[in-house]
Amino acid sequence: MLSIIPPELIRIVVGMVAVMAFVAINVLVLVYAERKGAGHIQRRPGPYEVGPHGILQPLADAGKLMGKQLLTPIGADPILYWLAPILSFLPVLLLFVPMPFGPVLTVQEVNLGLLLILAFAGINVLATLLAGWSSNNKFGLLGAARAVSQSVAYEIPLLLCVLCIAFQYGSLNLSTIVEAQGSWPWQWNFVCQPLAFLIFLVSSFAETNRAPFDLPEAESELTAGFHTEYSGMGFGLFFMAEYANMVVVSGVCAALFLGGWKGPGIDGVWWFLIKVYALLGLIIWVRWTYPRVRFDQLLNLNWKWLLPLATLNLLATVFLMKVF
Amino acid sequence: MRYEEMGLTEGDFYSRNFQKGAREDTLILNLGPQHPATHGVLRVIVELDGEYVIRAEPVIGYLHRMHEKMAEGRSLYQYLPNMGRVDYGHALGWNWALVGAVERLAGFEVPERAEYIRVITTELNRITSHLLWWGAFTLDLGAITPIMYAFDDRERLLDILQMATGSRLTHSSFRVGGVCTDINDKFVAACKEAIPHMRARLPMYRDLVTGNTILRNRLEGVGVFDADLCRRYGGSGPVARGSGIDYDVRKTENLSIYSRFDWKVAVQQAGDSMARYLVRMDEMEQSLNIIEQALASLPEGKVMMAKAPKVTWAVPKGESYFAFEAARGKAGVHLVSNGGKFPYKIKLRSPCFSNLSLFAEAARGTLLADALAILGSLDLVIPEIDR
Amino acid sequence: MIDTLFSPLPVQCLAKCDPARTGLAWSVFLSSADLLPAVRLLYQAEYALEDITAIDAREGYLLVYHFDHMDRQGRLALRVLIPHETPEIASIASVFQGAEWHERETTDFYGIVFNGNPNPIPLLLAPEMKFHPLRKEDGARVSLIDMLPVGEVLRSAPGFDLLTPKAAEGGGATGA
Repeated sequence: MLSIIPPELIRIVVGMVAVMAFVAINVLVLVYAERKGAGHIQRRPGPYEVGPHGILQPLADAGKLMGKQLLTPIGADPILYWLAPILSFLPVLLLFVPMPFGPVLTVQEVNLGLLLILAFAGINVLATLLAGWSSNNKFGLLGAARAVSQSVAYEIPLLLCVLCIAFQYGSLNLSTIVEAQGSWPWQWNFVCQPLAFLIFLVSSFAETNRAPFDLPEAESELTAGFHTEYSGMGFGLFFMAEYANMVVVSGVCAALFLGGWKGPGIDGVWWFLIKVYALLGLIIWVRWTYPRVRFDQLLNLNWKWLLPLATLNLLATVFLMKVF
Repeated sequence: MRYEEMGLTEGDFYSRNFQKGAREDTLILNLGPQHPATHGVLRVIVELDGEYVIRAEPVIGYLHRMHEKMAEGRSLYQYLPNMGRVDYGHALGWNWALVGAVERLAGFEVPERAEYIRVITTELNRITSHLLWWGAFTLDLGAITPIMYAFDDRERLLDILQMATGSRLTHSSFRVGGVCTDINDKFVAACKEAIPHMRARLPMYRDLVTGNTILRNRLEGVGVFDADLCRRYGGSGPVARGSGIDYDVRKTENLSIYSRFDWKVAVQQAGDSMARYLVRMDEMEQSLNIIEQALASLPEGKVMMAKAPKVTWAVPKGESYFAFEAARGKAGVHLVSNGGKFPYKIKLRSPCFSNLSLFAEAARGTLLADALAILGSLDLVIPEIDR
Repeated sequence: MIDTLFSPLPVQCLAKCDPARTGLAWSVFLSSADLLPAVRLLYQAEYALEDITAIDAREGYLLVYHFDHMDRQGRLALRVLIPHETPEIASIASVFQGAEWHERETTDFYGIVFNGNPNPIPLLLAPEMKFHPLRKEDGARVSLIDMLPVGEVLRSAPGFDLLTPKAAEGGGATGA
């Protein structure tokens, strides 16, 4: 009976279930870490009441979000309005498919893994646009407009940085790229591609709509931007998608530039997780430190600095590859 | 649309009034009365062309309590607590404006020690007010953390103020002819401890926040007003001083005992949001200087004048105007009395009211984010605008 | 200062006040026609608008415009008396734009109409409010002479008797 089902399918189904569990747990942990980290940055204890040191706070929040009434605003398009949060969260699970957690811990080796991640990450923009557009709210509309121009703009330098690495190894498979890097930090890609690493980092902040580039949901300007009207789990899904996206960009960054699951001593999934959480910590740290940039400054930074630099970096990489 | 089916009409009186003559391709956006950036119940209707503000019109009055009518039915003693409610940020500045107007009209001399206590508490209150603004303003700019540090320091100063005024927010400890309670050694010791603490904190704020590139880029060259605009709209306080006007009522009108201390009026020439920011940051340091010197030369004596007026005291006939440099600008009380039990008329000249009125002109043509940065840099306290 | 500035204007009464007792340096009574020219002169002399209000007195609404100079002490009150029956006056918002709000506020509180205000809608009170809270009952109104200090009168138009004491008690002219 079992032989009828191809083994790859079993692997994918098991992997997807594991990824779903991983994402859900990660969101809970990250919410707690962010709030606790924010608390300590701001000289306050953070969540403290639910469970020891507030450890059960994310669960209580999840319960609260699920218990809330789902409201559709007057004049909103009900189908698109509810499609948007689902569309925002679902592709995120797919992004974990080619993610190399460990030497064998990959849901499915995909030759075009990087392309798959970048392609499905693009759907998030569509979800944001739909959410802002369909909710019949002017703040939402402005937030959606900002989200689109921001995501579209920052995807280009991000892509160019990824291409540098892909050219270097002649592969779009994340596992291959990790394999090619050494165990010691100076053998990782951020040493030979420092500019690409920095541009990737900055662009990924913008891609995940995190401060200082959180303009689509800029609270003091647009109340909550594209998700102003969403209640309960409608908002909850956007929220989970944001955190899951953070994990994805950190994972890709760790695999591309920081040697993935490789590290001094014994290689394995722990190195990957350490790197991912360090990057997530950085993202959280930045959010609670910096003010928000202005919209024109955000786009200027991209079109006038990141994009030319990324292009030059790519050209230099190609040139050096050809010469040596 | 389904609005009409439900019997709803779009917009209220003000947005309908605003919509007249709007261009076809623009977006009319209501910021407020409940909006995170308007700090309370201010409402600004803006017409947007993309992200650019074509026209902005503040709509106020959501917190209007008619303090001026209340004044006509209360004796001055009963009216004094109202002053703490006009501007919750710098309550003692308004306290002083009212008692100053009465003392000026009646020709009362306030005891020396009371003047010192007034100066010390008012300046402490000015620092707490500026800290409140600083936290809220950086919050407007998307920096979430500074407000916690500001409130940390503010709490500490409020603890000290509480010893002298008995309250933490709506202080009303000034009386006609003095202050209601004397300060004790504990207060003086706490002040002397707090001054070096604040002196250590302000450079930290300068390094961490003021020097931040993102913050500077958000504020420099944004919302530039010149001195002429301030005069036309009656802008005062840090708003005027940020535009290069060296005008501080404490200095210009030689109020109270301020001339005895060595302090400077903080002035910046640029006229942009950053200039207004820097003026307030400098003012905190100047206030610390004043407090330090006042504590060092604090005289002994009574804190209420002899034969201080009783609760039922009627203000003598006449008219007086007293302006005080509150944290947000010139707080003025225009008192007209016919010698009756209650004042005949009291007009409160609110600095925020005038400062907000120039917002529409200053915000024209800026980006939405800049407009909110300008709004924040005016340091608005809504109860004071609406009175 | 102000007496030379206002020399071309037919003021009703121009008095110097004692700043230590009233907070004002000058008090000027004008007819409603002279208000705008006076305000223009003030703008040219770099005065800043402080506030606009009214006093509901027995003789009519006395509009009070406070101006201050930002370089030196010298607060100035322009006063214009308008009758209770026709509370109308020209707006000064074309010269001092900040006056727009002060005038709207005064309209809310006293029902005084400012002709030429660019946006004459209620400011602080609800649009549907039909009464003006600071208007006084007829019996409660007090004569101006019982409230305003006279000061040291430098110039006075013939026939201006608002501040001339009718009885022997006299005004509060302490500075003079």
